[in-house]
Amino acid sequence: MGEVILTMDSIDKTFPGVHALDHVNFELRRGEVHALMGENGAGKSTLMKVLTGIYTKDSGTITFEGKEVEYHNTREAQDAGIVIVHQELNMVGDLTVAQNIFIGREFRKGIMIDDRKMIRESKKLFDELHIDIDPRARMSDLTVGKQQMCEIAKAISHKAKIIIFDEPSAALTEKEIEDLFTIIRGLRAQNLGIIYISHRMDEIKVITDRVTVMRDGTYVGTLITNDCTKEDIINMMVGRVIYEEPKTHSMVPDDAPVVLKVEHLNAGKMVQDVSFELRKGEILGFSGLMGAGRTETARALFGADPRQSGDIYINGRKVTINSPEDAVKNGIGYLSEDRKRFGIVVQKTITENSTLSTLKEYMAGLFINKKAEKTVTEQYIRELDTKTPGADQLVVNLSGGNQQKVVIAKWLVRNCDILIFDEPTRGIDVGAKNEIYKLMNRLAAEGKSIIMISSEMTEILRMSDRIIVMCEGKKTGEIPIEQATQEAIMDKATRDIG
Amino acid sequence: METIKNNPIIKKLGFNRIILFIILLLMYGVFSVIIPGFASKARLMSILNYVYFLGFLALGVTFVIATGGIDFSIGPVMFCCALMAGYSLNTFGMPVIVSLLLTIAIGVCFGCFNGFLVAFVGVPPFIVSMATMNIAKGLGSVFTKTQSVSWPQSNDPSGNGWFRNLVKVNGIPTGLIALAIAAIVLYIVMNNTRAGRFILCLGSNKEAVRLSGVDVRKWQMLAYVICGTMAGIAAIFFVSAYTTVQPGLGDTYNNEAIASCVMGGTSMGGGLASIGGTLIGVFVISLLQEGIMAMRMTKEVQMIITGLIVIVFVYADVSARRRRN
Repeated sequence: MGEVILTMDSIDKTFPGVHALDHVNFELRRGEVHALMGENGAGKSTLMKVLTGIYTKDSGTITFEGKEVEYHNTREAQDAGIVIVHQELNMVGDLTVAQNIFIGREFRKGIMIDDRKMIRESKKLFDELHIDIDPRARMSDLTVGKQQMCEIAKAISHKAKIIIFDEPSAALTEKEIEDLFTIIRGLRAQNLGIIYISHRMDEIKVITDRVTVMRDGTYVGTLITNDCTKEDIINMMVGRVIYEEPKTHSMVPDDAPVVLKVEHLNAGKMVQDVSFELRKGEILGFSGLMGAGRTETARALFGADPRQSGDIYINGRKVTINSPEDAVKNGIGYLSEDRKRFGIVVQKTITENSTLSTLKEYMAGLFINKKAEKTVTEQYIRELDTKTPGADQLVVNLSGGNQQKVVIAKWLVRNCDILIFDEPTRGIDVGAKNEIYKLMNRLAAEGKSIIMISSEMTEILRMSDRIIVMCEGKKTGEIPIEQATQEAIMDKATRDIG
Repeated sequence: METIKNNPIIKKLGFNRIILFIILLLMYGVFSVIIPGFASKARLMSILNYVYFLGFLALGVTFVIATGGIDFSIGPVMFCCALMAGYSLNTFGMPVIVSLLLTIAIGVCFGCFNGFLVAFVGVPPFIVSMATMNIAKGLGSVFTKTQSVSWPQSNDPSGNGWFRNLVKVNGIPTGLIALAIAAIVLYIVMNNTRAGRFILCLGSNKEAVRLSGVDVRKWQMLAYVICGTMAGIAAIFFVSAYTTVQPGLGDTYNNEAIASCVMGGTSMGGGLASIGGTLIGVFVISLLQEGIMAMRMTKEVQMIITGLIVIVFVYADVSARRRRN
């Protein structure tokens, strides 16, 4: 680690009704990877937005390379050498890689754009980073991992001195994450300062030198990564200990009946000949890397996407599921991985969301029985301990964990016996995560059957009674929890990858 | 300001709607002062004639906009209904009551056509309604052999003019009662029935509603059918208030109806709709049109103002959404 390149001292920022940053401190040295951690809403993003000029701070000082600075927009920050690689990639799919990297500052020959020079310069950048990407390729043809590399190349092309990675690994495969880490180590060797925001504890241990933890808009502390344990960091984040012990044995009785049987399901390239059984009261984990076809399997089963072939049996009876409507009629509920897009109607109230799939039951003749609707919603708010001032609250005003509870409530109101939880804790902070786990265990104990798709190994091992592993659209393994280890799962999940 | 906004009565009515209503009253006041003779019963009746048909059009299109869609065909569809039914009345000797029902039926057909293409085939609403606009204009012209159609006057010796009582009986504006009934029914449909709930929810997030096991196509189509039906009813009130319908026209009313909606707080992005707001918007537009006519300016001036109104209110809506997120 070299000398200090950036100091943020006593940064304060208030939004109407929220004290988003309460005198927060942060320090970054040259040649270090510094993790910024905290639950959702802890203020990490706000702090970075203050740094890159998206927000103006109310008070406090930012010192960059020994001078006090204040940027008014990202452009100014970029020009000074502070660049952010966003979680959502900001690329134009129909342009080439080179055109994307130099977008907004194209090289010119007279009035014409000099494409050749852009390609040459891109090539140079990629060589520096030891990445193999063709600058002439169309952006949309690249994998998410490669697109991320392009974002990094773009950041470096700004002559960056500080690069901020905002949850860079969220959409990457294990292999891609390793490549990313190689690049980050290279950047560190070149004496850049790197800020790394992530929720994945394992990565923090692997890639970072120091960790700064924030909680509720305040600075909690900074640790040297090598000297602390995962629990230390989590304790600082939540202020309490959370156990993440794996399940040791299945909770499902031996004589539990099979409630769902899927045979030879085929849907496009991502779902090839998938068969499995789900038993009453079971939590069936679906593990695999990104793009293994787990979500696609769930969506095909639920009727959300068309399927080519395959039979579905519920309680031993063959059923036809061609639309979500059919699936819901057969007692299947689906919690999507992308809550905001597929799970909830954010601009509507908790009540309206809760009865979305059961509205027929809350009719008095032609009209909605709003009283009955509200009663049942309030019942589930209490039962799931959803934190909200009332049932009339718009869902957009709830936190991620509470929004998830609204989606769960929707399916519980429907009394679905089979629930598909697709990445149930994605984007949910550690405390709320635990509540969701408890809830899933309770539902299983009450006799609901759950399919849980998860990319987090700890979650799979902690929750599942049995684990199905998928890889490139095929089922590659089925492991009882007693025999499940991270290694065994990874082995199946990467079986066909060279 | 915040405390006023949070007052329960004002919250229920909608702060922006109250402001719009005050603007409406102020406009009427200003027009009455600067235009001699504006504050007369004749003027008021003239404004109301415009309110009737525009009101039905705007109430209908509110449902389409609530789904996040748009319908640029309502004006020409209204004219097409009036032309085809009126021509049948005059040329084939069709009974008046059958003609009136035919008017509505044609509107329903256009609504079904639009709705089916948008919801089941998946053609973008913009494209569908632009195409339908031309179809409606063309159909009206072809059917009437490009001649204007006059519906019977109230004193027509055949006694066929009785339908004009729909808008006025002995100087009493009965049309206002009809419009009020329609608004109340549609308010209930929007806020207290499954149709309204699903239309609003799918306007906000269609995929989430679909994945909740709801047949969104059916409800989305229904919004267009309601819109088409209302265009048919609007046609009845148009011919009851005015004498002649000309083929190849009607598009200006699209913009006026849409402007009424956005002014009243219905969001072009879908998911939010206000029947009451739309109604106030209709009064504002109708008053504006009468004022401009009274000042001896042309319809074109009004088109410019309506266009600007749409832009201003859509901008206000978009920036309000941005602030909320």
